[in-house]
Amino acid sequence: MSDKDLHIETRLILGGYAPDPQTGATTLPIYQSSAFAYETAEELEDVFAGRSGGFLYTRINNPTLHQFEQRLTGLESGIGAVSCASGMAAITTTILTLAGAGDHIISSATIFGGTYALFQDTLTRLNIQTTFVNPSDPAAFEAAIADNTRAIFIETMGNPKLNVPDIQAIADVAKKHGIVLVVDNTLTPLIVQPKEFGADIVIHSTSKYINGHGNAIGGIVIDCGTFDWSSDRYPHIKEHHERVRHFAFLSYLRSKVFRDTGACFSPFNAFLMSIGLESLGVRMDRQCTSAVTLATFLENHTETDSVVYAGLSSHSDHTIATEQFGGRYGALLAVRLGTKERAIALINNLKHAQILANLGDAKTLVTHPATTFCREFSEEDRLAMGAPDDLVRVSVGLEYPDDIVADFEQSLTAL
Amino acid sequence: MNLKVNGDDTEAPEGTNVLALLTLKEVKMPEMVSVELNGEILDREAFESTALKENDAVEFLYFMGGGKSA
Repeated sequence: MSDKDLHIETRLILGGYAPDPQTGATTLPIYQSSAFAYETAEELEDVFAGRSGGFLYTRINNPTLHQFEQRLTGLESGIGAVSCASGMAAITTTILTLAGAGDHIISSATIFGGTYALFQDTLTRLNIQTTFVNPSDPAAFEAAIADNTRAIFIETMGNPKLNVPDIQAIADVAKKHGIVLVVDNTLTPLIVQPKEFGADIVIHSTSKYINGHGNAIGGIVIDCGTFDWSSDRYPHIKEHHERVRHFAFLSYLRSKVFRDTGACFSPFNAFLMSIGLESLGVRMDRQCTSAVTLATFLENHTETDSVVYAGLSSHSDHTIATEQFGGRYGALLAVRLGTKERAIALINNLKHAQILANLGDAKTLVTHPATTFCREFSEEDRLAMGAPDDLVRVSVGLEYPDDIVADFEQSLTAL
Repeated sequence: MNLKVNGDDTEAPEGTNVLALLTLKEVKMPEMVSVELNGEILDREAFESTALKENDAVEFLYFMGGGKSA
């Protein structure tokens, strides 16, 4: 059996790092070095010029980060990857690689609040305009396309709306017009490979499920190898295509935007996340199963108004989620309580779940989106993003499932 | 046999595989090079099992550099 025949979960464990031939060490070393030395000035020049391979400076590349990038490339069946300081850094670096002042992007309107703010505020100040569209309507993406459109951005699952766009239908629009489709797969690693449905670039906030333990921040940009970078829509990347062919996007990203803006990843965080990657498969299985259990319990409880979870048949995107995700629906769910006061009370009554704005941890986490990561938006925008005042978002953890349910049961009883 | 390596004519023994060509061409840090064979990216795991043929075009691609020349 060749390595290519192995399941991704197995390759994430076996394919990460071969034992060091000199020391026998079996764990990825942390190369905690700012820069890397060469025998001669000419050798260093060759690496800088791209005529030879090698590591230069950890802001640009590093052996520990290289190994991590190789593993994440495998996770998404891509051709290469660049690790970044955070998920937001990965998104910013990607968009600034594709678009500049005077350009335009199209985004799902139900994306994570932090990304929404980046597009709506910061990119607008740089004169990159964003049109936000309903992600359930592929025709809306097509209607928004202009001559200066440089990217279509979606998430595999909205946050906190937890809606599930039809990736293939949106990819068909992107391909028809020769526009890059960027898919944020933070919420569903291993559950879906967006490349299978036509994604060109896949992004993760690796701080979440890939890490799995809430102890480090990071992000990754993966090129699926599906886009023709000789396209005239991206003349700056086309220049790189003449030299590095399929790797033109990654080349431009790493050697220009990433190098110039400096949001590099930490080797120590790559080490932590490499450990996390090895248990990603079993963690996703357990957390998805527990999420179904908790969602079903909450939906049947008289004190809740409704539950938002794509794994429930009551969810409007249940059918497309089943097609794309193959029976697992992620470990993030939301519950509505009728009023903001009841939502806050549910959170405060919990004895074990932690109150914080994160997800993908081993611990169960709860957040009130309307007063945290969606607080800066108008009520109208918050409703469109799926963050009404009475909604609580739950990131289901790895605790014993009965204990998670019991914590919510006692909290609801106390309302 | 004759190969085109990064556009240059290169002589290599019959049956040379891609991994051996990396050694023959004294490629430093071969784990960092990406290889394109006749216009297609070659999976790293296939370097050793891919025997080259007369007139194959092989490109060694590096995209890790930091200079303006990319």
